[in-house]
Amino acid sequence: MADGLFDQFQNWYEKRHDYARDWKARTGGQVVATMCTYTAEELLIAAGMLPVRVLGAHEPQNVTEPHIFGMFCPFCRDSLAQGLLERFDYAEGVTLTQSCIQYRQTFSSWRSNVPTVQWDYFVPMPNEVQSPHARKAHYAEIQAFRVFLQALTGKELTDEMLREALAVVDENRRLLRELFEYRKEANPKVTGCEALYASITAQFVDKREHNEMLKKVLAALPTRQLNRPEGVRFMTIGSENDDLAFMAMVESVGSTIVIDDQCSGTRYFWNQSKPEDDVIKAIADRYCDRPACPTKDYPVHTRYDHVLGLAKEFNARAAIFLQQKFCDPHEGDYPDLKKHLEDNGIPTLFLEFDITNPIGPFRIRIEAFLETMSDEELF
Amino acid sequence: MNTETTAPTAPEKKEFWRWQENVWFDETKDWKTAKIVTCGIDVGSVSSQAVLVVDGELYGFNSMRTGNNSPDSATNALAGIMDKCGMKQEDIHFVVGTGYGRVNVPFADKAITEIACHARGANYMGGNGVRTILDMGGQDCKAIHCDEKGKVTNFLMNDKCAAGTGRGMEVISDLMQIPIAELGPRSFDIDSDVEAVSSVCVVFAKSEALGLLKAGYTKNKVIAAYCQAMAERVVSLLERIGVEEGFFITGGIAKNPGVVKRIEKLLGIKAMETKVDSQIAGALGAALFGYTLASKKAAAAAAA
Repeated sequence: MADGLFDQFQNWYEKRHDYARDWKARTGGQVVATMCTYTAEELLIAAGMLPVRVLGAHEPQNVTEPHIFGMFCPFCRDSLAQGLLERFDYAEGVTLTQSCIQYRQTFSSWRSNVPTVQWDYFVPMPNEVQSPHARKAHYAEIQAFRVFLQALTGKELTDEMLREALAVVDENRRLLRELFEYRKEANPKVTGCEALYASITAQFVDKREHNEMLKKVLAALPTRQLNRPEGVRFMTIGSENDDLAFMAMVESVGSTIVIDDQCSGTRYFWNQSKPEDDVIKAIADRYCDRPACPTKDYPVHTRYDHVLGLAKEFNARAAIFLQQKFCDPHEGDYPDLKKHLEDNGIPTLFLEFDITNPIGPFRIRIEAFLETMSDEELF
Repeated sequence: MNTETTAPTAPEKKEFWRWQENVWFDETKDWKTAKIVTCGIDVGSVSSQAVLVVDGELYGFNSMRTGNNSPDSATNALAGIMDKCGMKQEDIHFVVGTGYGRVNVPFADKAITEIACHARGANYMGGNGVRTILDMGGQDCKAIHCDEKGKVTNFLMNDKCAAGTGRGMEVISDLMQIPIAELGPRSFDIDSDVEAVSSVCVVFAKSEALGLLKAGYTKNKVIAAYCQAMAERVVSLLERIGVEEGFFITGGIAKNPGVVKRIEKLLGIKAMETKVDSQIAGALGAALFGYTLASKKAAAAAAA
């Protein structure tokens, strides 16, 4: 937008590797490539590291074929490509917290084949977080991660350091929710693209800097006027999505994306930790309690009501499923979640995403979907 | 020795894929006495159509191959029919653009997607009993559900390639060196049913078709195998959305009985028949939307 309010977020997004290199040069800290938003960033931050989530580049690539199946999801393949192409050559470490088996392969190939990786760590978080044993198990895994980091750095990670890091991360979560609250309004003061720039950059920018930027934006928002037609209010649903070209196209044809259920958006920051005497418990439980990814949403499907609740709370008129091709967990949820939304008056559109997406054909689908909801008297 | 030589002449390249371009208008009507004249322009990836609607009824159309830019294709398509019936652009009250090039129709008052326009056009051509539409276009394929007014209620498009579309049929036509209009009838001129080629990808099917020819298949059997594959592919798209009674096919492939009859056999449903050229459905729907919009605009102006 012309007022440039979100330009810093956009700049961070577009030059994220430059940002990480610069951060490293000015702080002397280690950078850690993180895979999956279940990674307990608090521990890395407490250890003086910069967690940088691995994202794809949305470019054709030809380097992953020897390492990963072609029928694994585009995000897995694109993420691995970024490692193999040494786009993360500044990252000493790489870490994955268990989510889906496809991404596990990305991690395994990354740690074996990306030459700049000096250390790696896998957190085997339980997938069945609803099990009565899950919290205890995850507590133990977070504690083990802490021990690993202490051994790696040769420095103790005290409870105080962890509390300080948790406070910074929780503040980031709170500020992002405050920002997203503005999207509930009619003619929202924040577009879907802008919200995505804000939430995705939180996944690789130093949280303290990110928090300061969020505060500046939040201070300016009450008087902001976007002067753009709101159109149809959309929700987006899926796994990772940072295809800004697609988002911009959707918002250019008569709609506003007002909320999401994606790990590039709300699932990453929606809940803060709960006060606990034991800081490891506070951190571990927060990840068990967060809005679930389909890999961690059984036997009870908590997502369905959560997604419907978001759609209603943000007054979404319709929802678009951004389905990463071959993403089995999300594809498994799709039929029932679609039915749940449609039974409750939220029409849906299904789009299959790949590493690169055909914006032209997608535009036809989006426009046709909008036409099915149009009040314009064409008949 | 001073001899005169002539350059060797290249053998004439016959374009087997080239389908019949059509211009038609209803000579029994006089557009000059009409209250509202509207136009729909469908600039597709392979063909472009201009349809004129006079007081809500089909009056004329021009269907031609899309050129290398959308504005020229739209202008040429409209000029083709206007010249025929002595109309000028200022005589048209409302123009709606549709198809891939819909936003590049320079004289359009509005752009509407081809999905909505095909449903509206099919509703006009097949009546208000049309519920499921299969649009088999030049480079994509759409399955559409609509209500009794022709309003879209659900739709699906094929994936990101030209498999199972008009362009694929053009490639096979050239490969077999058989005019495209003959492919359908010839696909039935075989001794026994044949299996579908395993791929309808335009590129792979071409290789497979060559392989079949080398293996001793007649051209007709190869064409039958390709028509069967195309039918199976679009049926899988239709089955994902569900097929209701009132099944209508639009687009160029609707003129190919080799594909249509195989689709009907696989679905167990007969497609509704129409006397109107199936290829103009999108532009016709656009012109009909134009008529509704122009009528409402005129009514609002009269009330003011």
